[in-house]
Amino acid sequence: MTSRRDFLSASGAVLMGAAMVSRVQAASLPEAVTQSDPATMPPLLPSNGRPYNPVVTLNGWSLPWRMKNGWKEFHLVAEPVVREIAPGMKANLWGYNGQSPGPTIEVVEGDKVRIFVTNKLPEHTSVHWHGQILPNGMDGVSGLTQPAIQPGKTFVYEFVARHPGTFMYHPHADEMAQMAMGMMGFWVTHPKNPGFMPVDRDFVFLLNAYDVEPGSYTPKINTMLDFNLWTFNSRAFPGIDPLVVRKGDRVRIRAGNLTMTNHPLHLHGLNFEVTGTDGGWVPKSARWPEVTTDIAVGQMRAIEFVADAPGDWAFHCHKSHHTMNAMGHSVPTMIGVDHKGIAEKITKLVPDYMVMGDKGGSMGDMEMPIPDNTLPMMTGQGQFGPIEMGGMFTVVKVREGLARNDYKDPGWYHQPPGTRAYEWTGEMPAAASAPVKPDATSAAPSGAAQPVFNIKRGGVHEH
Amino acid sequence: MSSYSFMRRTVLGVALTLLLGGCATFSKDGGFDSVAQIAEARLGKTVRPVRSSDDARAIDASIKNLLAKPLTADDAVQIALLNNRGLQAGYAELGIAEADLVQAGRLHNPGFDFKHITQGADTIIERTFTMSLVNLIMLPQASRLEQQRFEAVKLQVANQVLRLAADTRKAYFEAVAAQQSVLYAKQVNAAAEAGAELGNRMARVGNWSKLEQDREQVFYADATAAVARAEKESVMAREKLTRLLGLWGDETQFQLPERLPDLPARPLQVKDAEAFAINNRLDIQAARQQTASLASSLGLTRTTRFINVLDLGYVRNTDSGLPRATGYELSLEIPIFDWGSARVARAEAIYMQSVNHLAETAVNARSAVRESYLGYRSAYDLARHYRDNIVPLRKQISDENLLRYNGMLISVFELLADAREQVLSVNGYINALKDYWVAQTDLSAALGGNLPANLSNKE
Repeated sequence: MTSRRDFLSASGAVLMGAAMVSRVQAASLPEAVTQSDPATMPPLLPSNGRPYNPVVTLNGWSLPWRMKNGWKEFHLVAEPVVREIAPGMKANLWGYNGQSPGPTIEVVEGDKVRIFVTNKLPEHTSVHWHGQILPNGMDGVSGLTQPAIQPGKTFVYEFVARHPGTFMYHPHADEMAQMAMGMMGFWVTHPKNPGFMPVDRDFVFLLNAYDVEPGSYTPKINTMLDFNLWTFNSRAFPGIDPLVVRKGDRVRIRAGNLTMTNHPLHLHGLNFEVTGTDGGWVPKSARWPEVTTDIAVGQMRAIEFVADAPGDWAFHCHKSHHTMNAMGHSVPTMIGVDHKGIAEKITKLVPDYMVMGDKGGSMGDMEMPIPDNTLPMMTGQGQFGPIEMGGMFTVVKVREGLARNDYKDPGWYHQPPGTRAYEWTGEMPAAASAPVKPDATSAAPSGAAQPVFNIKRGGVHEH
Repeated sequence: MSSYSFMRRTVLGVALTLLLGGCATFSKDGGFDSVAQIAEARLGKTVRPVRSSDDARAIDASIKNLLAKPLTADDAVQIALLNNRGLQAGYAELGIAEADLVQAGRLHNPGFDFKHITQGADTIIERTFTMSLVNLIMLPQASRLEQQRFEAVKLQVANQVLRLAADTRKAYFEAVAAQQSVLYAKQVNAAAEAGAELGNRMARVGNWSKLEQDREQVFYADATAAVARAEKESVMAREKLTRLLGLWGDETQFQLPERLPDLPARPLQVKDAEAFAINNRLDIQAARQQTASLASSLGLTRTTRFINVLDLGYVRNTDSGLPRATGYELSLEIPIFDWGSARVARAEAIYMQSVNHLAETAVNARSAVRESYLGYRSAYDLARHYRDNIVPLRKQISDENLLRYNGMLISVFELLADAREQVLSVNGYINALKDYWVAQTDLSAALGGNLPANLSNKE
């Protein structure tokens, strides 16, 4: 584990990751800093180079650099890593510098950027700088624009970060396997002018998905759509940190989608505008208010809002299966099925059997043993009980009076008295009834056998 | 040697034999003691012939005693040895052989012919008194032969005892295993029933299609058929055992234990198994005795080739009107054309045949011992594999599946299907265990009914 202080210093827990690189070569390489702690690291304030307002990588960190002859030099090491998806579950992934996704690379518009990429994977790789406008030979498509980086080799990418905006990086070599294994990272090019579209808090993360069989550790890389772990930065709720903001802050959230399906990201309690895409910033006149923005595959979106409403606001993908962890997609629906007498029979054969699902899918408050190294389908405890969420779900916590760089979890929101839904204990209002046809022969339907609606089939498809 | 002097010596011999012939009498045990000894030494069991109602009552009492609790394999063998009527019938062979032996030691009754012929006015009365001279002469040899035959019958009966013991033991294991299999078939059926019932209820509330409902139904129907089949096989196995135990009426309600005996911690290591088998097996002992007996039979043929066709008759003819004529009649096969050499050659051939049969029996016994030991070892290894690998793995799979059910990763139907699989693998172990006990019985049968004392459980 490396704290920010550590990785800014030249010694301590900073690790020379490029063990395979020769001494001579190492002398010319910047340190390959690694990080294994899955917590959200504080923003990396630029100590040299052009000034900028740093971002906060959700459950991640930003990669330190060194300045050399006017070049901003980074060292990425592509390598196998172990990522904690959420407490209780780890995955064998491939990533960069100790984590998947790799560290966020932050540069400033106009920076001359040199990135050393050392390949410590068992197979060749390359890095594509998604969204960058750069010389063709630096685009990182193995075979097309460069030979692949073979295991043990270090390649150098050099280009100028021309356009401010939101980008990402990922391999363009055996990418099906390498992206399924978690090879990806965030890239932010800050504007040269720190006063351009400034925000108080700027969060970044990638949307990614894995198929890790319960009880196993390595993703099934051949899965195309039926993933069982939907994650922000390879973390699933309740492993995703909250987005802590101060009331009144202008907040930016940047997300990139490297899964194989779209994700409608939905924010409760606050309106936002989409202010940026991979192509750049959206002119003010072209923005429209949203509470949900759909991020298509391979896209980046930056949304912005003013945190004017204190509270614990859910922030999640609106596909309901994407706010679940590992679940059986072919489990039959048991709702309404009477288990009387059967449960006893089954218990004789399977002593620890327990009836589930007959009243619905809810199992947020069940505490039963599940396979090793997986996560309950729905989990997380809030102050009022089980949240029954997983996957791409987190909370935007808006609080008054936080310090400027305070990202510490402030706990649950204490709602002012009289502002929470409550149980009605008074007299029940009269039930509303549907209008009855005047010529109806029977008066009010007396039994449940009477259909409420008479749906007439057919006719729709008559041509 | 003149034939006259030969005759005289023979007559003297006859006289001597007549004096000695009365020696062969019935033994006290009727030859049963040696059989009982073999049963005791090899099986640790008592055998008892039913010769009186007292015997029958005593046997009944001990059987009732053994039937009072669930049978062990040893109890079953003991009951069969006391109660199997086929074996009791075999005991009668002993009596018959002994009677033959005693008979052989006694002179044949002399024959007396009386012929009365009227020819017109003439009456011819012919009286002939004959007695088998050969019988007289051969009496010692015949006794010896019958003694050998008696010994052979004892071995045969003892062998029958051992075979019945082995058959009973095997039938016992089969019956217990079949009974256990019924239990497991019923468990599978219970799982199928729960699935079918749940399927029905799911279809009733609209969560399932007819197709899925039918799939669970047909599984249940199949499982029910499997129970019927298992029950039928159990009845057959039990009846086979019942027959060997010679039980009928209320006695057929005997109880079997719920489970087969456990697999021993280690398989038996039989040292010098072949040598042990050669010394121990009754079929080899019988073949040996047969050969020995033929050897003496060969010697007998050499000494008696001239006389074994000899008959001595006393002749007393009375013709009417004529003086009584008395004398004796002697017919002698004169070995001019047949000097007996062919017979000697035949006897030698028969002897050699027997020697080769003995050798063959020994070779086969050695092979049977090796085969049954290998069968025994592989049955042990298979049963252990089931016990140590397959059954625990199935259990582990079931445990893991339950965790997956808890995590809502699989449904109750997969849980039930898995429970059925687990039950089937336990049943597979039962069968492997049964095969082991049968193989152990076969091994001890191949070794002559018991396992050698130097046998070890060390691997």
